[in-house]
Amino acid sequence: MNLQDLFQRAAIWRAGELPPALTRPSSFPLLDKALPGGGWPQSGLTEILFSTSGIGALRLILPALANLSHQGGWIIWVCPPHIPYAPALETFGVDLSRILIIELPEQDCAEREQSLWAFEQALRFQDCSAALIWLEDASMLSLRRLQLAAEAGSTWGIVFRPTSYAVQPSPAALRLKLSPSRLDAGTEALDVTLLKARGMRSGQSYRLAV
Amino acid sequence: MRGTAIVETGPALDTGLNIERRDVLRARANPRSIADQNARPQSATLWLYLHLPALPLEVLTRGVEETRAFVLASESGRRRVVEMTNRCAASLGVRVGMPLSAAHALGEIQVLERRSRAEHKALQRLAMWAMQITSQVSVVEPDGLLLEVKGSLKLFKGVDALLRRLRRSLKQLGYRADYAVAPTPAAAMVLARSNPRKVILQNHQLHSALARLPVSALRLEAKQTAALESLGAKFIGECRRLPRDGIARRLSPELLTRLDQLYGEKPDPQLAFQAPRSFDAEIDLPWDVDNARDLLTAGERLLDELQGYLTANTATIRALRWRLIGCDNKLRFFDLRLSHATRDRQHMLLLLRETLSRMNLTSPVRGIGLNVAEVTFGAKLCNRDLFDPNQRSEQEAYASFIDRLRSRCGETALRRLGIEGHHKPEATWRWLQPAVMLEHRNKGLAHLQAQRVARPLWLLKKALKLKQNGGQPHFDGPLELVPERERIVNGWWDETAIARDYFVAKTSRGGRLWVYRELGMQANWYLHGIFE
Repeated sequence: MNLQDLFQRAAIWRAGELPPALTRPSSFPLLDKALPGGGWPQSGLTEILFSTSGIGALRLILPALANLSHQGGWIIWVCPPHIPYAPALETFGVDLSRILIIELPEQDCAEREQSLWAFEQALRFQDCSAALIWLEDASMLSLRRLQLAAEAGSTWGIVFRPTSYAVQPSPAALRLKLSPSRLDAGTEALDVTLLKARGMRSGQSYRLAV
Repeated sequence: MRGTAIVETGPALDTGLNIERRDVLRARANPRSIADQNARPQSATLWLYLHLPALPLEVLTRGVEETRAFVLASESGRRRVVEMTNRCAASLGVRVGMPLSAAHALGEIQVLERRSRAEHKALQRLAMWAMQITSQVSVVEPDGLLLEVKGSLKLFKGVDALLRRLRRSLKQLGYRADYAVAPTPAAAMVLARSNPRKVILQNHQLHSALARLPVSALRLEAKQTAALESLGAKFIGECRRLPRDGIARRLSPELLTRLDQLYGEKPDPQLAFQAPRSFDAEIDLPWDVDNARDLLTAGERLLDELQGYLTANTATIRALRWRLIGCDNKLRFFDLRLSHATRDRQHMLLLLRETLSRMNLTSPVRGIGLNVAEVTFGAKLCNRDLFDPNQRSEQEAYASFIDRLRSRCGETALRRLGIEGHHKPEATWRWLQPAVMLEHRNKGLAHLQAQRVARPLWLLKKALKLKQNGGQPHFDGPLELVPERERIVNGWWDETAIARDYFVAKTSRGGRLWVYRELGMQANWYLHGIFE
């Protein structure tokens, strides 16, 4: 077998070359340009790291979720830290009838195992198009499991974690770090740094008005 | 009930005779041509007899995987001998009739006592299960079932497919069965015992199939068998050739009737089994179990039985009540609720597995039972229930997902969001049950959209009282308030009255929050939402 044959295999991609990936637009043209395949992945794990609340981590993915909600799939929120506020979701154009929330009793949410299990079930659920979870510490092994589950179920899994975990390696196909910033005009903005993206150079930052 | 069919030797009762004769001729001319048998008129009924030779042992051991040597013991004179063995025991060299002491010497075997009541119940339940194949099922005590399958052949796409399915399903249930198919009930019973797996679809084949079977296959009284043999009739075919009046006079008229029934010349009515209106089944385990996971095999078999019952009655259920029978005979119950009426075995099995995997048995268990009190009969039956229970609609897939999560995370774990037309921020939304299909109601939202009032994506479960410094709220440092405020005053007519000024506030680290100040004397600041 020569090198060319090897490259024909789907499992192998060359750095600098886009892997064949199905994506959907994020509604942020700048971000779409930066993301592999030109948008959010349709399946697999996306890790979003941020430490300050209220900077717009949800608003970053909400246009995509709103689109998904109108395409019939379920959007499942596993142990959200607060109540997803229905009126705000609706003003963002989200179809509430496709939102499902898994709320575990307080002690169970702390019991990470339970919420990870629920998240994995959501990822494997064929009719779920996106699943969201808020995690702190998670082992490499369980993250890998989630990545595989998301691929198997063709589900976009979004994991929100504190920025401090950026230094830990992760099997997630896409990793972003968020930090608050301002546009030239002085309005709030979000700096999105690509920590890991297949076929892209990591470390690039993009300033978005969310 | 009418006689089963016309055969060439029988009296000409109707015009069917001619057709039968033509069949005979054609079959003789080309005896191997059975490909077109479905197109040709066959006997009016077709009977399948299931003989369960190992039933006494199987009712005791089917709750566990067959990995151990089991032996059923019985008294023979003063000694206890082996009455029945499973495959494991047989491979050790244990033989039927062997004294128990000798069997013990061959290896580790577990000796079980026969329980006739359990056998009887198991057979009844098997009849219940078999009603998914045909509505005409008869119980033949102590170890047989008789099924009239003529009408089912089309549904199952032929006798071979039906038998294949039957074999597989019985194995799943934990039973081994011999069977035969014949145009008369008596012939099916005789063949199942002496020439298992024989399939006879047409009357004229019956003669050759029965001719060379020994008289003993008729299972007559020993005296009658001996008398027949003394007359020189060793085989059933030879009995047929004996003079009829001679048999009636010298043996008994009943024997003549039995022979006539065997060949379908006299009616042989069967008592049809009536399925009960609710389902209850139980499996005893051969040993005491203290790990809930070990109950899964038995539970799975109970679900198989249940599915047969539900399919037969085109019924669905919404809840299952399981009971664990403790060694101290104490019962422990647990329920599995289904979010939609179903008879989907896969789904129920998934829930059971989930529940068992998380269950701690406080005391050892010797059996497991399943009771379904509420059965909805006459639900619409689709073919896919019969042939492919795994193929599920989107609605079912959703329901299955919901049930799985609820069974592990609790009944209230899953929720959906709804909008309420209310001015109070904490009351403009509410939780909905996941099974509720949501209708779109944008009541009360219009004014929000019209005004483009900011609403945060996160609402705190309980508003958080903020520290203040000289009237300025603090959260992670002093909060910078956006000048526009929104006054919400509502519910002054009851105790839930609110009067608040809402602001968008910026934290020193760049986050945006939704805070309010109470109007009135207190003027406390609260954090109510986050613009995530």
